Amino acid sequence: MTRYVMVADLERCVGCQTCTAACKHTNATAPGVQWRRVLDMEVGEFPDVRRAFVPVGCMHCADPPCMHVCPSTATGQRADGLVTIDYDLCIGCGYCAVACPYQARYMVEQPGQAYREGRMRSETQRENPGRLGVAQKCTFCSDRIDYGEQHGLTPGVDPEATPACVNACIASALQFGDIEDPDSNVSQLLAAHKHFRMHEELGTDPGFYYLWEDR
Amino acid sequence: MSSPADGTAKKVPTYCYQCVAGPDLMTVKVVDGVATEVEPNFAAAEVTPSAGKVCVKAFGLLQKMYNPNRILTPMKRTNPRKGVDQDPGFVPISWDEALDTIAERLEAVQAKGPNDDSGYPRIAASFGGGGTPTYYMGTLPAFLASIGPIDFGFGSGQGVKCYHSEHLYGELWHRAFTVAPDTPNTEYMLSFGYNVEASGGVCGVKRHADARARGAKRVQIEPHLSVTGACSAEWVPIRPKTDAAFMFGLLHVMLHEQRQRLDIPFLKHRTTSPYLVAPNGFFLRDPATSKPLIYCLQRKRAVPFDTSDSDPALEGTFKVSGIEIGADDDAWEHRMEKVQPAFQKLIDHTAGYTPLWAGRICDVPHKVIRRLALEFIDHARVGETTEVEGRELPYRPVAIALGKTVNNGWGGFDCCWARTLMACLVGALEVPGGTLGTTVRLNRPATDRNLSVKPHPDGFMDYPMNPTDKAGWLAKPDVRNANRTLIPLVANSPWSQALGPTHLAWMQQQQAPEHWPQATPPDIWFVYRTNPAISFWDTTQITEVLSRFPFTVCFALTNDETNHFADILLPDRTDLEGLQLIRVGGTKFIEQFWDYQGFALRQPVVEAQGDARDFTWIATELARRSGVLDKYVKAVNRGAAGVPLKGEHYDFSLAEDEAPSVEAVWDATCRAASAEITDGAEDQGLDWYREHGFRVAPFPRVKWYLYAAIEDAGLRFELPYQERLMRVGKQLGRRLHEHGISWWDEQLEEYDPLPEYKNYPEMWEKALERNYRVDIRDYPFWAVTARSMQYAWGGNAGIQMMREVAENVGGHGGVVINATKAAELGLADGDLVEIRSPLNATRGRVVTRQGIRPDTLLMIGQFEHWATPYAKDLELPSLNKLVPMLIDLTDSTGSGADLTRVQVNRVEGAR
Repeated sequence: MTRYVMVADLERCVGCQTCTAACKHTNATAPGVQWRRVLDMEVGEFPDVRRAFVPVGCMHCADPPCMHVCPSTATGQRADGLVTIDYDLCIGCGYCAVACPYQARYMVEQPGQAYREGRMRSETQRENPGRLGVAQKCTFCSDRIDYGEQHGLTPGVDPEATPACVNACIASALQFGDIEDPDSNVSQLLAAHKHFRMHEELGTDPGFYYLWEDR
Repeated sequence: MSSPADGTAKKVPTYCYQCVAGPDLMTVKVVDGVATEVEPNFAAAEVTPSAGKVCVKAFGLLQKMYNPNRILTPMKRTNPRKGVDQDPGFVPISWDEALDTIAERLEAVQAKGPNDDSGYPRIAASFGGGGTPTYYMGTLPAFLASIGPIDFGFGSGQGVKCYHSEHLYGELWHRAFTVAPDTPNTEYMLSFGYNVEASGGVCGVKRHADARARGAKRVQIEPHLSVTGACSAEWVPIRPKTDAAFMFGLLHVMLHEQRQRLDIPFLKHRTTSPYLVAPNGFFLRDPATSKPLIYCLQRKRAVPFDTSDSDPALEGTFKVSGIEIGADDDAWEHRMEKVQPAFQKLIDHTAGYTPLWAGRICDVPHKVIRRLALEFIDHARVGETTEVEGRELPYRPVAIALGKTVNNGWGGFDCCWARTLMACLVGALEVPGGTLGTTVRLNRPATDRNLSVKPHPDGFMDYPMNPTDKAGWLAKPDVRNANRTLIPLVANSPWSQALGPTHLAWMQQQQAPEHWPQATPPDIWFVYRTNPAISFWDTTQITEVLSRFPFTVCFALTNDETNHFADILLPDRTDLEGLQLIRVGGTKFIEQFWDYQGFALRQPVVEAQGDARDFTWIATELARRSGVLDKYVKAVNRGAAGVPLKGEHYDFSLAEDEAPSVEAVWDATCRAASAEITDGAEDQGLDWYREHGFRVAPFPRVKWYLYAAIEDAGLRFELPYQERLMRVGKQLGRRLHEHGISWWDEQLEEYDPLPEYKNYPEMWEKALERNYRVDIRDYPFWAVTARSMQYAWGGNAGIQMMREVAENVGGHGGVVINATKAAELGLADGDLVEIRSPLNATRGRVVTRQGIRPDTLLMIGQFEHWATPYAKDLELPSLNKLVPMLIDLTDSTGSGADLTRVQVNRVEGAR
């Protein structure tokens, strides 16, 4: 079995949003839509304050609430753990966006444009009418994973088979791989570091791990 | 390059050099002739310290290129009146009309003579971004060289927003225009406002992440909890502009409580610590050779510093004879006079700078200062060595980094001195793990800082000071910021003018200082990749000055606040549309020290938008039309475009009697680059670089560490005692006073051989009270700024995606204020407030955070645009409008600091 997961090392992340931007390029998301983004969190009170940067997006849960509430079966799950949306089946009801505890889903009704003065060539070139009026979210760049598997590449290791956010991360904070493979990069990281998952208490079994250290 | 509808998808290699922490290599995916994605250049992963990656700014380049607000044809102004409130009335014109108009002006200038009646160049040019425009302007430097002289002294941020004092003192002490920790090897870093996670580029971010992963500790000392503070092990919220006191407190602990743990051999033999100081403050010298004397403990007498097998005394008082040479060769003879080594002077000098003293000034517990000093020494591993490429070097994995506002303006000298001295005390300057310089810009050659290590007769490195002796001093400034006249340390390299004091150029346009003629505006002003109308200080004054410049030519992306005053707008091809080959690798700014060096190509990834033209084409046409084509081509052949076209084993020189095409220029440059890197064995041209993107060869890591070159030359670092600067300062004072000039007297006081702490916060307060007749108690906050990775140096406030992603990072939404303090004032997130300094006011929305001192306000970046499309609608505040340009707040290096006092008031009725 394979289950692809993302690992974010909070000791390495600097909140630069390069992953956010790379995701927007690769997936041609509309202005305001960020399948990947990094939260800037502050805890404590002056002068005892800590600030942390936390990458978020679809957690590709093993038990995804978004899938359970989907009335049209548009939201599904692949054998490798990726949570998917079939845009042809999605009726745009938005139940999934409400059910997702990670606020990872977006709905876009109209083709977006960065500037009111006109659409750019890069926007018209990448226009995807099939994504209008339906739910959308991070796919873990499933097309790259599929391409990699078809060409004997290892997702999370070979750039052509790895999610764009991971490839772009300048701090090497984001890692991706198969958690079921004990020798994979992500399994090694999780074995060596303290880690947690977001809202684990909800029982969604998210596929997104955070590494952290005591300071 | 893809054509618009060829149905292909390809990845085109190119580079991003939007910020000084570049260059970074990347690829751009092109589908059916449209650029769609920026990606890392995975082929460069092994040869670049950034692993072939680019930061978030590079992803904005697609919107930069396809921005519907772009100017895509030359334009001319039709409204002769200039002002913020004036519509320029730009109308499209042909390239022929634009270039001929400029050429006519240039020829008229040449006919009148290069300098005007005030002695200043009739032509001026301003470029921003810490020198990065050079990597986008093709052969423009060759054109400028062919029409010179040019006044490069109108700054857009240089001097006031750069690491100015670090640039000058860094080059003096260790050939370090910029200073960085040896992050790949260090274990402990004290960072005073060094915001490397925002401004250190991909290389800086990756290296510091790797350092954290290996257990290195970094302590961030600054008034607000920056991105870098967030990634540090500890944050110390220091009162603004008191960093010098903090560092003096650290020095006190090291010198008075831990002296036995210092690197004594380093201090004795690699610094000027043992040099004896004579009664008038200059070194005691050998009468026969004029060499500085040391006291040899073995021989029990004074000997010249370079006497072999000497054991120099660092401490004590000795009765010895010798001569003393002061300013303008003043000389004294001393017979059996009591003198002390410079190190003893240092010990006495720092006696009063206790952690308790420093803690009260800095609003930091004194125990913290003492603890950090001890941690610094604990990690220094004094006595250990390591091997680098077969060379044994000291291993000292401790470093100190300084950020903007710490290492410029008043107090910058103290901080740079204390930082460099602390490194010396434990032998951690320019050695593995320690504090390093990464580039030279004032010394020569600029391509290799190791080769710039030239001996001075006094046993340390020579330095190209601007003369202050009677015969050599430049009494009449040759450019409007008077850099060579006022600033000996700024030297006279191609970078020196732009280092300033750049605000003096702007201030003099309003009113000349006493005894100097009223400065003239330039007849022609060229502007590229900079926007001083919003990026300098007192931006209201800047725009008043700009409205009086008679003929301004702006290379323009969109309308903006500076080209609002232009007479001609020229649309150049942007980052992804133009052609240029640059040098990469070796050691460059910030933390860009590589294991490779070579060349990288920037190439058009798609066809240019509209009628934008390649910079090299524009430069060639300007040269041809203004009658300087031969000089221009000669300059290109000489290497003004980055690579000399003729070498020992090759000659790709261009014919001087005809205008070369863009491709011909860069093909010859590529061939020369290949030949240079292979000693003439290979000569791959433009087509090869278009396909491969870059070519590099190994760069020896031992060259990261200047210590090796210093040791080979038998030289010392010129610390702690600044005898040479004292002499230069006294001479400069005499020259100025001989000409009746006393308005630089406070700056002259800074030429201390050992800096004394001054109350820097009070210096700001008093200057504001004096100049604006205010009661500073009415302005209870310090206003500061910080760099943002999304925006720094990018000129990209008009790019929608940058705004979108920057909003994820706290503080980009307005003015940051301590949450508890805001509640006290009845302010809540999103409230519209006016932030008013004694000079002016700006408006923004309240952003409450706990990670900021209650007495400090933070405004990130540089905004408050009023002309740039998209950016003008952001309603973001800017510190720039609030900070005055004042001689009082200008230090002896000609720099100031991003700092002022402000009050904050809710704009009634606004939420």
